[in-house]
Amino acid sequence: MNPADRKEELIRRIAVALRGRDGANPAPASKASREGTSGEADRIARFREMFESQGGNYLAGPSLEPMLPALGEALRISGVAELFFPPDDAGARLVAETLVPFGPFTLVSLDEVRRPSAPPSAGIQTAEFAIAETGTIVQTGREGKTLLPGLLADVHVVLLSPAVFVDRMEECLAALSGDLPRNISFITGPSRTGDIEQTIVIGAHGPKKSIAVLLP
Amino acid sequence: MAQNRSVPVSLFFTCLADAFFPRVGFATAAVLERFGAEVRVPLSQTCCGQPAFNSGNRREARKMARKFLKAFAGDGYIVTPSGSCAAMVKNEYPALFRDEPAMLSLASLAGERTYELSQFLVDVLGVTDPRSSFRGKVTYHDSCHLRRGLGVFEAPRKLLRSIPGVTLVEMEESDRCCGFGGVFSIKYPHISCRMVDDKIERILATGAQFVTSGDIGCLMNIGGMISRSGYPVKPVHLAEILAGDVEVPL
Amino acid sequence: MEPLSRFFHRRSEKALADTALQAAISRATGKFLGARADAVAAFPGFEAARDEGSRIRRETLDRLDFHLARFIAEAERRGAVVHVARDGAEACEIAARVAKEEGVALAVKSKSMLAEEIGLNEALKSAGVDVVEADLGEYIVQLAGEPPSHILAPAVHMARERVARLFEEKLGEPYTDRIPELVGIARRRLREKFLTAGMGITGANFLCADTGSVVLVTNEGNGRMGTILPRVHLVVAGIEKVIPGLADLPVLLRLLTRSATGQPISTYVSVLTGVKRPEDPEGPERLHVILVDNGRTGILQGKYRDILKCIRCGACLNVCPVYQSVGGHAYGWVYSGPMGSVLTPLLAGLAEGAPLANASTLCGACAEVCPVKIPLPEFLLELRADEREQGLKDPAEVFGMKGYAAVMGRAGILEALERFIGVISQVLFKEGKAPWLPFRFSAWTDRRDFPAPSPQPFRKLWKKQRGIRP
Repeated sequence: MNPADRKEELIRRIAVALRGRDGANPAPASKASREGTSGEADRIARFREMFESQGGNYLAGPSLEPMLPALGEALRISGVAELFFPPDDAGARLVAETLVPFGPFTLVSLDEVRRPSAPPSAGIQTAEFAIAETGTIVQTGREGKTLLPGLLADVHVVLLSPAVFVDRMEECLAALSGDLPRNISFITGPSRTGDIEQTIVIGAHGPKKSIAVLLP
Repeated sequence: MAQNRSVPVSLFFTCLADAFFPRVGFATAAVLERFGAEVRVPLSQTCCGQPAFNSGNRREARKMARKFLKAFAGDGYIVTPSGSCAAMVKNEYPALFRDEPAMLSLASLAGERTYELSQFLVDVLGVTDPRSSFRGKVTYHDSCHLRRGLGVFEAPRKLLRSIPGVTLVEMEESDRCCGFGGVFSIKYPHISCRMVDDKIERILATGAQFVTSGDIGCLMNIGGMISRSGYPVKPVHLAEILAGDVEVPL
Repeated sequence: MEPLSRFFHRRSEKALADTALQAAISRATGKFLGARADAVAAFPGFEAARDEGSRIRRETLDRLDFHLARFIAEAERRGAVVHVARDGAEACEIAARVAKEEGVALAVKSKSMLAEEIGLNEALKSAGVDVVEADLGEYIVQLAGEPPSHILAPAVHMARERVARLFEEKLGEPYTDRIPELVGIARRRLREKFLTAGMGITGANFLCADTGSVVLVTNEGNGRMGTILPRVHLVVAGIEKVIPGLADLPVLLRLLTRSATGQPISTYVSVLTGVKRPEDPEGPERLHVILVDNGRTGILQGKYRDILKCIRCGACLNVCPVYQSVGGHAYGWVYSGPMGSVLTPLLAGLAEGAPLANASTLCGACAEVCPVKIPLPEFLLELRADEREQGLKDPAEVFGMKGYAAVMGRAGILEALERFIGVISQVLFKEGKAPWLPFRFSAWTDRRDFPAPSPQPFRKLWKKQRGIRP
């Protein structure tokens, strides 16, 4: 049986199981529900609360300069030696370049970060969405964006602006609908595991630290 | 207190009370009569069929259910001191007779008339104080069928709290299963004993003198382990606490 | 994995005697339950979400042919190769063939119950593929050569010292039993695998029909690693994992993560659609999805259809006093606790799984916590009835039940028997208790007292008291 026939056969088998010999397959009725949305400041505050409750570190300010020492310190404590950023992400590039003297850190490329023996790094990236309900950052692979900063780095530094905040995941998915990117990643705090004696350890395979930086 | 003039009640005393704890039957009748119920006891009743149904033996369960429905045919309330038996009639008889429309409607009607004792006292007779002379520190075990099957958990507590001589203490996880489960207790005795040990630990932690419940099966399981182990707590059925001093002929 | 559920009785006895296991299970289930309770209390919309989740899952199953066909079409449109497998053996064959055709020597794998169910790892190993479990708990039990013991916490039964010894013996790492260091070792070892593996293998938490997307829900990040870095992504999923649309995802996630670990959302949720496009800097070039039936269409047909609503949250395991007592291994297969007690007889056969269906007091705690409202106790009762109908019951039990029903058939017979036993027991049992019972009933009296029957039954005493003529 060729692959197309196998699929037909499976679908037919299911139809018979559901409705007997003459099973048709009617399209289901759809439903939509929306709740009210809230103001921007409230959204940001809720995001911060949830994000921090999941172990994220949150920094906000009118400009980048005053935050650099604290940011540099946070990266140094985590043993970060290298910084990288998406080549097409101007905001991330700026932050990375201005951070260099606060380490000092070395700037590396995406390829270098993929080496098995790469030293601890910080991946800096602009978030596409920030979801207030759960303190979640959204990165996608659309338009050639990379996901490596939130994947391979020891510290994930995410840049936020007020415009990226939404209330709930529903809005984010609606905004992305149409031609979906290959990968939509909802990221809430650093990676963790409780698999040994139910003891939570922060930093499993993904980043050990998640830092959100809010700039106007 | 509501004045209930001759509310007709058929007492469904249960096979376990019949064979092992007649005083539970007498206590139930006494409390009902105290609040104006006219208690009749259909003597052709035997068993609701729960042990057979729960173990998957529906043929036998149906036989016993038919007999139950015949014994309790008519109007008036059916009241039982057993949460699991009330749940059997109300929740499971429809499943037993789902392929027999005539029996199904009979069963549904009977189910609507069936109540567990504390549920009946509070919700139907409007009793707030059972006027019991019982004295002691008591902890209450929520039996699974009474709590989850029938949604009854406030009524017994309301009544217990209003008895002047009773101090009610809540155990942790009062609705955690005691491990009886009917046939389960002999099919998987090791698991059953582990579960009843866990339950008794929580009972002992309250320092109560008495543990009570609305199901004889639970009390037999808990009481049986208490008795074998020699723990300083006594099982007593909810009906007996509500009745207080009752004359039991023997 | 070959089922050993028919040995549940013996396996559960062993589990109860294992004090280390007892402590571990108690700790794990207690933590999960506490976290779940907090999360539910903090989410006023939880009950409404349960209704909605139940509706979504029911709707999916009632029109599974439509939704599955749509998923296949959409996934293929985005470049996935979708295979269908009638049973586990076929699924393994397909997986091995895919690995061979794609030239894969090393694969990293995320947690998948279905993969356990069909024995995927063994099949790939036989085909010459090195499969490394990337979820920490699975990595540990893989090193130990054991099956996982809980949906969410595969190594819940192992103490850290055991893990430390494992890492020392199997990995040559210097001994440390400090948990953060053990996690660090695994991170380092597995990072190297992620970066060099040719294939990432995952299950699917959900399959979105309207977009052809595969959804993964994790906390560790291994699912993301395996679906972004390797050249090939292989998904194995049961046909019941489909949901109608991406718009249905948020409410199911709200239910799933709170019910499982008490989190409002897991650390990582990945919505994966199709393959790498030319402008993407990373991502799989090849995506293979194997949709597995393995008995599910059979379940779909019958009265147990709703068990397929299960979203694998594990809440029913955590709340079940039987699971809390014996842990997952005693159940003898992939699926344990209440949902496993229903699914195992349905997938592995009633003769194999009947002990699981009988090992429940029907307390109803599972139904109370199930986020999609599966009537688990009802299903257990139905399975027991099926057992009787199919002649699988112990003849002694059937005989006993027939005798019981016969005695209960006439009040006169019952009363005569009760009076007879009442008289005898006064002679045999002193102090109102029976320290032993005959036949199987000795299982009670081995460790518990049983009350002596009353000298006279209630029905006789009532007649006496009320002056009723017999």
